[in-house]
Amino acid sequence: MSLFAWLRPNHSPLTDIQRQRLAQLAAPVDWHDHNLRAQRWVVLDLETSGLNLNRDQVLSIGAVVIEDGAIDFAQQFERTLHQPDHKTSPSVLLHGLGPSAIAAGCDPVDALLDFMDFVGDSPLLAFHASFDQRMLARALKDNLGYKLQHGFLDVAELAPLLNPAVVLRDAGLDDWTACFGLQAAERHHASADALVTAELALILFSQARRQGLDSPLQLEQRLGNWRRRRQMSHSF
Amino acid sequence: MDAFAQAGKTAVMQNIHGTMQFLQRFPPFNQMENAHLAYLVEQCQLRFYAAGESIIKPADGPVEHFHIVKQGRVVGERTHGVKGSTETTFEITSGECFPLAALLGERATRTEHLAAEDTFCLQLNKAAFIRLFALSDVFRDFALRGVSSLLDQVNQQVQRRAVETLGNQYSLNTRLGELAMRHPVVCDPDTPLREAVRLMHDQQVGSIVIVDPQRAPIGIFTLRDLRQVVAEASTDFAAPIATHMTAAPFALTPQHSAFDAAIAMTERHIAHVCLVEDQRLCGVVSERDLFSLQRIDLVHLARTIRHAPRIEQLVSLRGEIGQLVERMLAHGASSTQITHIITLLNDHTGCRVIELAIQDKGDPGVAFSWLCFGSEGRREQTLHTDQDNGILFEARDAAHAAEIRGVLLPLAQHINQGLAQCGFSLCKGNIMAGNPELCLSRAEWARRFAAFIREATPENLLASSIYFDLRVVWGDEQPCEQLRQSILEQVGDNRLFQRMMAGNALRQRPPVGRLREFVLTRQGNDKAATLDLKVQGLTPFVDGARLLALANGISANNTLERLRQLVTREVIDPLDGGAYEEAYQFIQQTRMQQHQAQTRQNQPYSNRVDPDSLNNLDRRILRESLRQAQRLQSSLALRYQL
Repeated sequence: MSLFAWLRPNHSPLTDIQRQRLAQLAAPVDWHDHNLRAQRWVVLDLETSGLNLNRDQVLSIGAVVIEDGAIDFAQQFERTLHQPDHKTSPSVLLHGLGPSAIAAGCDPVDALLDFMDFVGDSPLLAFHASFDQRMLARALKDNLGYKLQHGFLDVAELAPLLNPAVVLRDAGLDDWTACFGLQAAERHHASADALVTAELALILFSQARRQGLDSPLQLEQRLGNWRRRRQMSHSF
Repeated sequence: MDAFAQAGKTAVMQNIHGTMQFLQRFPPFNQMENAHLAYLVEQCQLRFYAAGESIIKPADGPVEHFHIVKQGRVVGERTHGVKGSTETTFEITSGECFPLAALLGERATRTEHLAAEDTFCLQLNKAAFIRLFALSDVFRDFALRGVSSLLDQVNQQVQRRAVETLGNQYSLNTRLGELAMRHPVVCDPDTPLREAVRLMHDQQVGSIVIVDPQRAPIGIFTLRDLRQVVAEASTDFAAPIATHMTAAPFALTPQHSAFDAAIAMTERHIAHVCLVEDQRLCGVVSERDLFSLQRIDLVHLARTIRHAPRIEQLVSLRGEIGQLVERMLAHGASSTQITHIITLLNDHTGCRVIELAIQDKGDPGVAFSWLCFGSEGRREQTLHTDQDNGILFEARDAAHAAEIRGVLLPLAQHINQGLAQCGFSLCKGNIMAGNPELCLSRAEWARRFAAFIREATPENLLASSIYFDLRVVWGDEQPCEQLRQSILEQVGDNRLFQRMMAGNALRQRPPVGRLREFVLTRQGNDKAATLDLKVQGLTPFVDGARLLALANGISANNTLERLRQLVTREVIDPLDGGAYEEAYQFIQQTRMQQHQAQTRQNQPYSNRVDPDSLNNLDRRILRESLRQAQRLQSSLALRYQL
């Protein structure tokens, strides 16, 4: 492999229309200090071919929107990505996306452009957000040469922050949905997971408001403090 | 693009699909077209309310959203202006909606809706609600009629289930216009008898209607009349038909139902009903039309009972009443219609037993009225019934009364035994005419009733709840009416007695709790916990209606009739009255279906039901109906400050 191959982007060149769309994507905004209800959020869940952040691929994107303090069913995002070199791996058992579904998926470039269009300038929410954030960032970089700079809040961190009395170690989405008595329709499907994450987020926002944390900025800052405190206590 | 046109395309979205599947577990959504339901879901927002949070309240102004509870529980709380106390008026759980009346009326809600626990609601904005209202007949029907439209579904279910056992698709609610002979055979009053009979014979019909030049019916002549005419040797067949017809025949309109005709025939012992519209004859319905089309041999059964030559035959006819009830359920009769029919047939049986007893024992030579009390008095009998009866007669003084009693008691005891043979079990409390204490002169009854009202002991209160629903089955009705009027006057004047009766009416609490759906109890070795449909479900309505009727001078006995008259007199609100009526009917219907099922399975009658054995819809409406009983009780508590 020549040295230049490392420098060349590993995707086929974009069409004019795709380049145009890329240029028109909204830039993310900083954390607002208006109240939570005024903030539009995109709640995201990705299905990937595995858990390796450097090797595995995004197979599908599911997202719902929280706007005006409620989940808006009119705004939903659901795409399966066509990954030509995808090989069936054990995670197929989890996400259920078989080779035929992947083959029938749409062009990842278009799907990612559609998704970023859908996101607009809104911050994102996800359960174990850092995983989704890094997988999405790599997919955007590889396919579009786009640098993801949108803010992410992790629902898996918000839940213990706002519920210090609940003792759940390394709790997963299933644990928290069970803890709040949520009914999930069909889990391990990107859209259904995004919806249940969003429902969890609505409960948490309601708790946050009652605890005097009624803006995205305050929530992000408190989360930062909480993370630092936790790291300190862990280092002892 | 129009959001609705788009609905089909995005309906495959996982979350839309999941939410549709959720809604399809509940009426009315399970009856809606997929495209309409997809539209509804796509227009929704899902909102979270923490326990105690207000969802909508009167101060919010006109309601802007239709809500469906996805998960959790919402309660309605109404504040009483004067006392400032709040009352939980309803409870809404998964799959149920609110607030329909306020949304349709474009007004604010009158009741604050609060999340009773952490709750998720699907919210549909008003514009989408209106669009859906226009698109979906099912949704519109539900929105306009709310739980009533669900009751229709229940009735359809009942009919379907009963039809499965019987296999028949005709309905008792069929309009007579659809059943009747469209071109009845008619003639004018001057037509010779011979000519009229020839017309009937040519057309192969059982009746001919005699009409005036404007085609208004003035008489009817039937095969039964012909038999009588032939039997009289002197009959002149050239005489005008007018001399042999039954004048002023009974008539209904084509809008009346098959049930109305069946009732009229049973009550009047007639076999033909003229249909009249704008005073012109437009059809004739015969017993045979009802019989052949509907296999409802009610009329025939009533007549057979009335003419039974021996008590043994009455006994064998009782079984047919059970079959008739089964068939009536199949034909979509309501519980009210069925209790009405049972009461009617029981009255016929009672009368016949009395007549046969008089034949056997000889005429006592004293006029008397046969009274019935309790459910029979209210015309609310089911098949499962025992005797509550008495005798009323006129006497000059105490000595005369004792003398008459001596004559009537043996006959009364004979009648009680006869009724017992016919399946009316002997009353355990000995409330029977054969008991000397229940074979009284009018003055003695009046004294007894006055004592109930004057001294409101627990025994007297219980007695008044049985005896004050009195009615005459056989004999002169006038003396009984005089007794009733005096009861009404005394109760109306006696606020203390009313208050004691109200306390009595509150003893049986409807088995619905704040936290759990139903409050159930386990009886003996029962596997499942159950509730009593009669004592815990119907009794609160019966007691409440009796108290309010007696206190307001209403002489009707029947619970639903009492409720209707209370609405007319503005004692209760029309909406409340309607809700009580529907709730009462539903509980009664559930009870009767259970009795029928028990008969089929050769089990003893029981009024206890395990709500888990009901389907989703029935269970929900039963809970709602019991809540109405609860509301009636709270209104009594408020009215009498208990």
